[in-house]
Amino acid sequence: MTIVLQTVIDVWDKNLMTLRTIEHLQMFSIALVLSTVIGVIIGIFIYSRQRTANTVLNILNIVETIPDLALIVILLPILRLGAGPTIAASVLYSILPVARNTYTGLKGVDEQYTYVARAIGLSQVETLWKVKIPMSLPLIAGGIRIALVFCMGVVTLGGLVAAGGLGTVLQNGIQLYEKDAILVAGLWTGLLAVILDSFAGIVEKKLHERYGKW
Amino acid sequence: MHTERLFDRIDSIQIKGVTKKYGSRFAVKELDMEIHGGELLILIGPSGSGKTTILRMINRMIEQDSGSVIINGLDTRKLDPVRLRRNMGYVIQNIGLFPHMTIGENIGLVPKLEGWEKNRVKERVQYLLDFVSLPTDLFFNRYPRQLSGGQQQRVGLARALAMDPPLLLMDEPFGALDPILRKQLQEEFLKIKMEIGRTIVFVTHDIEEAFRLGDRIAIVDQAKIVQVGPPEELIFNPATKMVSEIVDTERKFKHMDTLNVKDLMSPFDSKYVFDSKMDTCDAVNEMTGRDLETAFIFDNGRLLGRITMVDLMKCRTKTQKLADVVRPLKTFQPLDSVAFALSELKKSGEYLALIMNEDRPSGILVSDEVLLKLI
Repeated sequence: MTIVLQTVIDVWDKNLMTLRTIEHLQMFSIALVLSTVIGVIIGIFIYSRQRTANTVLNILNIVETIPDLALIVILLPILRLGAGPTIAASVLYSILPVARNTYTGLKGVDEQYTYVARAIGLSQVETLWKVKIPMSLPLIAGGIRIALVFCMGVVTLGGLVAAGGLGTVLQNGIQLYEKDAILVAGLWTGLLAVILDSFAGIVEKKLHERYGKW
Repeated sequence: MHTERLFDRIDSIQIKGVTKKYGSRFAVKELDMEIHGGELLILIGPSGSGKTTILRMINRMIEQDSGSVIINGLDTRKLDPVRLRRNMGYVIQNIGLFPHMTIGENIGLVPKLEGWEKNRVKERVQYLLDFVSLPTDLFFNRYPRQLSGGQQQRVGLARALAMDPPLLLMDEPFGALDPILRKQLQEEFLKIKMEIGRTIVFVTHDIEEAFRLGDRIAIVDQAKIVQVGPPEELIFNPATKMVSEIVDTERKFKHMDTLNVKDLMSPFDSKYVFDSKMDTCDAVNEMTGRDLETAFIFDNGRLLGRITMVDLMKCRTKTQKLADVVRPLKTFQPLDSVAFALSELKKSGEYLALIMNEDRPSGILVSDEVLLKLI
């Protein structure tokens, strides 16, 4: 037991894993915040201009079909080595679930509520902010949770293009065939993803209780 | 956003040559009508007759194809619809309280959007909750799904009154409620109407409701108004056969003498039974859960009387039992004649009685229901 613990501590220190974890989470949070903001804006946009919805969602779907590694490589010449291509690829992947869920959520708001909102004198913008978006929050949160998992995966791949983060540790481990490093970094990355996802799950559940039960 | 008040009181609403077509069908055809300030005008007619369309053209939820609606000399088409709607209250059958907002937030929504201060909004909401007999401390922070149908409808009315509008539009507000509840809310609404003294346009398909609430009644049929006038005018001088059919109340009383109470009572249900030792606070929640506005109180199987939700809310202290607030109740035997029962009810000013079959409740008699069942 102590030997295992000692190995883990050695691997952790040797690979600067505290620093790598911070880098990892930095890239991850930037990517998640960006994809959430862009995704929600696109969702609202295609909701208010329904004719564009199919086209926009199709384009995002096509982006989704590009293999993630290929996408990062495509972005390399444009954004150079480092965190840029990784963050951009995470965002491109994660926009779709957020945008699609925002769109579906807004469309799914029962017409009786939008009717009443209009009838008691809410303007279109007020109806959107006070009624439609709050009532779509559980679905939007569901989309963000999918985006979270996507971002976690793509950010880990970033190790291949010198983006830093836990992917770098994994990549080094593979190159130098250090089984311990692969194991420790792999398990830690997986554990992080599970923790963040459960946290998102709790938030989603809370939103459901607050906004989704009627 | 602060919207200007368009009118402090309604002098008149003139509907001039208004037409609305859906495809080739007329919803409203060349309609001319005047609604007087301060009156409660009922629009009644069969479904599809255009009564709701007329109502919705007043707040521009439906735009007419031609003609104009003029309020106090202002043509509604020249006004911003948002501003127009904030100057009138609107109540609909399915209420449409926003499920993600508390009762307080629902009622205070428009005042808040108008930029009122937090405290002013809160005071207004408290005043309105009190006005519709819902105690603030119990209801302010609840969500609509935690309220019974009758309570939700009260909140709907409070929301409509939030901006103190001089005009109320009501689209079958009591249509979805069960008969006992409907009758009770109508009674309360009558009191409210006296207090607020506003102009009200009220759509219904229930002629009893029309007679009880309306100052004037407009009969709508096939996109036209057939006749407008006070109830007695419609009864004594019906303009067409259709009007006389709608208002013909005579017929309803024809067989009254030959019928017994048991033929016309509504079945009794154990959900109406409450124990006299229950305390009033629990009873409020329990009645909400069972969606009741009225309950019958028994003490070891012996009938004590009835309670209403409104009574419970007005005299609520922690230690009070139902036995302390119960009010007397008329009872009849199943074989009593309907005519006798109705006249007794009328004498005591009640609209509800319990039918007892040898000390056991077997049915509920609601005066309005009796009339409707006789048609």
